[in-house]
Amino acid sequence: MQLTRAEILERLKEILISSDAVPPEICDACNEDSDLFTDIGLSSIGMLYVVIAIEEAFHVRFTGMGVSDFRTVRDVINHIEEHLS
Amino acid sequence: MIIENNERFRTYTSPEVFEKLKEYRSVSEMWKHCLSEYADRPAIGDDGKLFTFAQTEERAAQFRGIFSSNGISGNIGLLMPNSFELAAAFLAVSTSGNTAVVLPAQLDAVSVFGCSMKFGLKALIYMPGMEDKLSLIKEKAPALLLIPADASADNASSSVDADADDSCVIMFTGGTTGKSKAVLLSHGAVMQGVVNGCYGYEEVFYQRYLLVLPLSHIFGLVRNLLTSLYTGSTIYICRNTKDMFRDIEQYRPTILVLVPALAEMALMLSKKFGKNMLGEDMKYIICGAAAVAPYLAEEYAKLGITLFPGYGLTETANLVSGNPEPLKKPDSVGIPYAHQELRIENGELLIKGANMMKDYVGEETDGRDNDGWFHTGDLARFDDDGFLYITGRIKELIVLSNGENVSPAEVEAHFNELALVQDSQVFEDVNENGVHILALEVVPRATEMAALKAKDPSADAAEVLMSELTRINRSLPSFQRVSRIVIRDTDFERTPSMKIVRYHKCS
Repeated sequence: MQLTRAEILERLKEILISSDAVPPEICDACNEDSDLFTDIGLSSIGMLYVVIAIEEAFHVRFTGMGVSDFRTVRDVINHIEEHLS
Repeated sequence: MIIENNERFRTYTSPEVFEKLKEYRSVSEMWKHCLSEYADRPAIGDDGKLFTFAQTEERAAQFRGIFSSNGISGNIGLLMPNSFELAAAFLAVSTSGNTAVVLPAQLDAVSVFGCSMKFGLKALIYMPGMEDKLSLIKEKAPALLLIPADASADNASSSVDADADDSCVIMFTGGTTGKSKAVLLSHGAVMQGVVNGCYGYEEVFYQRYLLVLPLSHIFGLVRNLLTSLYTGSTIYICRNTKDMFRDIEQYRPTILVLVPALAEMALMLSKKFGKNMLGEDMKYIICGAAAVAPYLAEEYAKLGITLFPGYGLTETANLVSGNPEPLKKPDSVGIPYAHQELRIENGELLIKGANMMKDYVGEETDGRDNDGWFHTGDLARFDDDGFLYITGRIKELIVLSNGENVSPAEVEAHFNELALVQDSQVFEDVNENGVHILALEVVPRATEMAALKAKDPSADAAEVLMSELTRINRSLPSFQRVSRIVIRDTDFERTPSMKIVRYHKCS
């Protein structure tokens, strides 16, 4: 699957909205610099949801890491990009 | 209200299953029964391997051999993530006349050392790879026997009996930090919790469980591991929560013990991906450790899964009540289990019973009043059918929806270390989407803010403070991290004695 970073960000926003833990306007406004915890307000369970949903949606698997290894949207996109390639 | 037996639950279970639910006075007695009944059945699945009850006993006997050859007697710490080794080590300690102290695996070296001293550990079993958490013990308490979980003994040792009153395990109320209260539970109390959890549903024995909750949490230890063993079931260990749905696909569990936040998450994922993420074999979800939203039972029923809400505390060996009619009474935490006495005084639920802890360890209070009633701190009521409802909390402790307990003062202390902070308040709030979050409000120290500005006129003091607060927030364990930070421009409301008036936005 070939996706640009912008496309990955858009799909990530959809996942954030579906998590029901983040207001849509915050999802819309988030960018690669956004901090998942302080800017987006994800709890540890919210983060767990996002990681599992990414694995399902992108058919990727993050092995050897925990959900708290992600800090920013950029970290997440980097990992997805890395696994997709 | 005195509950003498579990007869109220009879109608929810077949007569054969109901009669099979025997009470044991100790974990040793239960384990002996398991070995005679289920020896060759699979007991624990972990890391791709499956261990029978007999193989689990072989491993436990090795640990007991180590205790015996080293003359170990007393409190034995367990510092391990969820694993076959942790389960076997717990069984070894509790069937050797010793008391297990189940330490949360995420404790740092200082907390591990502090717990070792506070509980007078005679030995500590740890998972290889966690040696960095033992550095202080090695330096300051070299006499403490450190046993790697893969150690073997020259001679295995058999189990010893215990009485119901004998100490079995010390668990932490929050399950997440050494600073929580430590609860000493007897064998009788633990077994009461194990047996009570088997009432109220049909298919009890020979099930498949998936262990997602940490064994350092009473819900994980009693309602997951020990209930699974007691019922001849197999428990598969999920080593990384993010892989739980892969594990579900692989092991096809029939019963899942979850905190509400995980049950909600599984439901949302099922909706998003248009499939039952918990698998076709899943029959029951046992849900507790925090308030269970009533809609969960209804939503799971649509997937063919019965979700049973329940109520319990670490101090009551996990289980006080269970709701066998979640669709009829979705707001209720159910019917109280046997061998307890429950009373409501000024709205607060008070409890006595066989499942009650022996004591808090190292605390001045044991939580009981002069008449022996334990004060739960929970506001409750009964309906006409004897179903219990929890209506709020009078304690200050914040219980997050994932079951973790957060002490606001403990989190605030981290932020208050900043010179720029005069006061702070951590509290539970509800965001725009109705989601419960942990929030922080800070009153800046005006003198320090002014000094910062004087030193560097181009600096934005509020920005500097926010960046420092964010840095500290990131350094906290994820369950203590706040999701919203607000810098106030006015002081908090205060009592006449100048104490901060605490927010109670969610109670």
